[in-house]
Amino acid sequence: MSEPSAVLTGLNPPETSASEPRAKRKSKDFKRNNAVGYLFISPWLIGFFLFAFIPIAISLYLAFTNYHLLRGGEWVGLDNFERMFTSDIRYGRSVIATFKYVLTAVPLRLIFALAVALLLNTKRHGVYWFRAAYYIPSVIGGSVAVAVMWRQLFGGDGRVNEGVINTFIGVLGFERVNWFGNPDTAIWTLILLAIWQFGSPMLIFLAGLRQIPAELYEAASIDGAHGWQKFIGVTLPLLTPIIFFNFIMQMIAGFRVFTQAFVITGGNPLDSTLFYALYLYRRAFNDFQMGYASAMAWVLLLIIAFFTLISFRLSKYWVFYETKEG
Amino acid sequence: MQSIKHRAFILLSVVALLLIMGSAAFAQDVQQMRVVWWGSQARHDRTIAVVEMYETEHPEVDIVYEFANFNDYWTLMNTQAAGGELACVMQQDYAYLSEWARNGLLMPLDSFVESGAIDLSAADDVYIAGGRTDGQLFGVSLGTNSQSIIIDVDAFEAAGVELPALDWTWDDFEAIALQLHESLGTWAYGSPSLGDDQIWTAMMVSLGLTPFNEDGTALGFSDDQPIIDHFSRLLRLQEAGAIMTPEEASQYATGPENSPIVVGAAAMQYQWSNQVVAIFAAAGGERHLRLWPMPRPATAVGAANYLKPSMFFSISSTCAMPDVAADFINFFTNSVEANAILAAERGVPISSTIRESLLPTLDATGIETFTFLETVAEFASPIFPPNPPGYNDIRNNVWIPLFHDPVLYGQIPVEEGVTLFRSEAEAILSAN
Amino acid sequence: MEQTLDFSAHKRVQRRAAISRTVFYYVGVTLLAVVMLYPVAWLVSSSLKPADEIWGSVTSLIPSAPRFENYAEGWQGFGGITFQIFFGNSFLHAGVGTIFTVVSSALVAYGFGRVKFRGSGIWFSIMLMTLMLPSQILMIPQYIIFNELGWINTFLPLLIPRLGGDVFFIFMIVQFIRGIPIELDEAALIDGCGKVGIFHRIILPQIVPALVTAAIFSFYWTWEDFLGPLVYLQNPELYTVALALRAYTDVGSINNWGAVFAMLTLSLVPVILIFVFFQRYLVEGIATTGLKG
Repeated sequence: MSEPSAVLTGLNPPETSASEPRAKRKSKDFKRNNAVGYLFISPWLIGFFLFAFIPIAISLYLAFTNYHLLRGGEWVGLDNFERMFTSDIRYGRSVIATFKYVLTAVPLRLIFALAVALLLNTKRHGVYWFRAAYYIPSVIGGSVAVAVMWRQLFGGDGRVNEGVINTFIGVLGFERVNWFGNPDTAIWTLILLAIWQFGSPMLIFLAGLRQIPAELYEAASIDGAHGWQKFIGVTLPLLTPIIFFNFIMQMIAGFRVFTQAFVITGGNPLDSTLFYALYLYRRAFNDFQMGYASAMAWVLLLIIAFFTLISFRLSKYWVFYETKEG
Repeated sequence: MQSIKHRAFILLSVVALLLIMGSAAFAQDVQQMRVVWWGSQARHDRTIAVVEMYETEHPEVDIVYEFANFNDYWTLMNTQAAGGELACVMQQDYAYLSEWARNGLLMPLDSFVESGAIDLSAADDVYIAGGRTDGQLFGVSLGTNSQSIIIDVDAFEAAGVELPALDWTWDDFEAIALQLHESLGTWAYGSPSLGDDQIWTAMMVSLGLTPFNEDGTALGFSDDQPIIDHFSRLLRLQEAGAIMTPEEASQYATGPENSPIVVGAAAMQYQWSNQVVAIFAAAGGERHLRLWPMPRPATAVGAANYLKPSMFFSISSTCAMPDVAADFINFFTNSVEANAILAAERGVPISSTIRESLLPTLDATGIETFTFLETVAEFASPIFPPNPPGYNDIRNNVWIPLFHDPVLYGQIPVEEGVTLFRSEAEAILSAN
Repeated sequence: MEQTLDFSAHKRVQRRAAISRTVFYYVGVTLLAVVMLYPVAWLVSSSLKPADEIWGSVTSLIPSAPRFENYAEGWQGFGGITFQIFFGNSFLHAGVGTIFTVVSSALVAYGFGRVKFRGSGIWFSIMLMTLMLPSQILMIPQYIIFNELGWINTFLPLLIPRLGGDVFFIFMIVQFIRGIPIELDEAALIDGCGKVGIFHRIILPQIVPALVTAAIFSFYWTWEDFLGPLVYLQNPELYTVALALRAYTDVGSINNWGAVFAMLTLSLVPVILIFVFFQRYLVEGIATTGLKG
């Protein structure tokens, strides 16, 4: 099989799997079929060349210029990159904030989404409504509503209202927290938002759980497996492609996190929530420095590509594909 | 199969597109002109009404308008500028005007003013001057503005503190703030920050200095002491609990309804005069809020207030029908009927005729803003030259994040912050 | 997880355990639902509050007297363009966009997931790369292209590129396809199916849950997108709900917050309805799943 991961890692060129005995046993169909392959991916391919390729090439070129949206610009070689890594104080802050977010929000969100998906993957009465209830927060997204709401929950208005979270903390007898004012806690409001909006990975997990053939559970039951054993023995291995997908996608989205900080904290306080994409957007559209912003974008791409590559390499140790094992 | 359908669809849409483009080429009898602004619902409603009024009077003109909120607006404008697709008439801001003008995106308006196409005879020069860059007029002010301190008169009375003189100093401010805090127990002053970059520029104006040198290649002053003094004062007041720290200020949700002076948590608040309408409205009619000029440094040579256009209408340099655009701006500026609808929502109109026509219709808040600006106009300092290119960079990436915030959060001493500010700002300016 | 009751032995003990587990389950999911829905309830209640109560009694969830005028006022929109038009535009944008996206993504995903062809790995890597580049950076070059095509002020720049599918969904469906036992393909092959036939008869029924998920997401992501509509739809008559709501609110200006909350609430309704409607197919997906093919 053509293995995207294999090519990404450069370890297993597509040919190797075909030479495996199992694959050999498979019929003629598993020979290359270039025409059919390209026919199926042609929508994406055409779209890519028509609408994405040129803009991407332009942004790559701009990364080596000091292009200013209004003033134009000229070729400056590696200046933008040098500036990023040596003299731009805020750049370092944005990298730190982003890594903090990725390292906390991504795993927490995934764990939460998986746990809830397992909880809801049942035929119990009324589970339908709970599924909808849990998904609703995710459709509020990054609208003005979330900005206002989140401020109310965590902040209150100083004197009159405490904010629900702080009221609760107070009831429990803890010291109240100035969530948005303290550079250590502000980022947690965004992490909690990411966890609260776990709907999309949850739904993908649910769809993945639905796809696991019931026969396998029945077979496991006959073998005497109980809940937890079935989870470890059947659910988890069969779900690994979906876990892997969710992990990769959440990681990429985590590195690109923008809207939440854009509408809720604006990067404050003290740049503690100045995420990479937010800083990049500001450089591009508030300071007009499209050249510098493009350079930032490509460095972000390299960072994400690096971690994605590692993930793909590691995936062969734990991700279980039907197409490979048969 | 499906992908064949897609092809068919693409083919169809291309054909449809050609038809649309073809028909557009024939529909040139009525002149189409684009007008674009930022704002919120009230401004959209009023401006659209005026646009329709203009269309009724000029059936040969079809105005296509666009609007957005402030942040989205600039994203949109930058994109359109990069695509060479700017609207004919666009709303502009003082912070961006010179940058846009110097990059050739705006059309000089002087010839229209001379020919009377844009009639500014009823506007004093102090209201027009802000639209000039390098000796040419690039924007017609849609309303006048000045910085102010909103004062809660009832709180002052309750604390037994006398209202300050109009030419009060920052020393006076500090004494009053401490007194207020002591007797009221609340904050004397809430957010937004008194270390705002625009307070810095106001300070420079009253010291007879300019924030930047003439060609915008360096800062316009060599002595950092006034800045150090000001921030040391803010730190003292924070320490005393008389003004909010940035942490405390961040607990207040955004929006005029939640501002400290409205919820009764503070007795004073800094605001641009065209924005006080929202504050006054949120506070309700029974409160006694007044506008006061900005405090000055002790060594001031003039007022810290200057008259600033709140926003402009400019004509983009790619506009195909500048005469129509100019006529529309003229209508916006001088039509009594149009301004009755606009109701000074963009700031106090520059034309004295219009101001007089509006006076009888004003509510208490309107009267307060109008009189405040009349008062300020008597002693205001001349507005400093438009900010050099790179100003937004300095504000966004140096003043606030590297100096203002770390100092007021107590992370670095004032002197260190100022040194960093100077070196980083000069580095940006030296590129000009 | 599936709950299977084994009635072979210790029936009563087991049933009691099952009942207590059920109670425990419902208490748990209900508590979680309360936490999840509180902020939403706050939003809905704010949309029914009179102006002075929205900020005056923020934490109260029950308006003193529900004020439905907020909805009527909000619906007026601005300058004579009501939310009816904005909703119509949004349905066009999100509806057509979703159909385009899901259909194309499924085709492309099948190509990457089940067909072996030269260069597939490289193309897949390139495709993933496009996901890693912050989209904001491509906005201006893309605008220039669509401007050259004369597509500004139409829905074309927002819809046509979707015929190429969406990388997120392509990757997602690829992962689902790779979870389908290859024996099914082989069986179909023996029956004389070609690649297209396998896609149609074997793969498509198996990936229904994935397609439903993609449709739900795609609809919602398109529905809430504002940067695309902001740049390409300049005429207010073409504004989508998300764009109109942003134009509604600006910092430092008076806002009719009740009306804003009302329209925000209303803007969530279609997305929630789509979810409730489609989740049925998400459940039905199981019925068609299995080794029978």
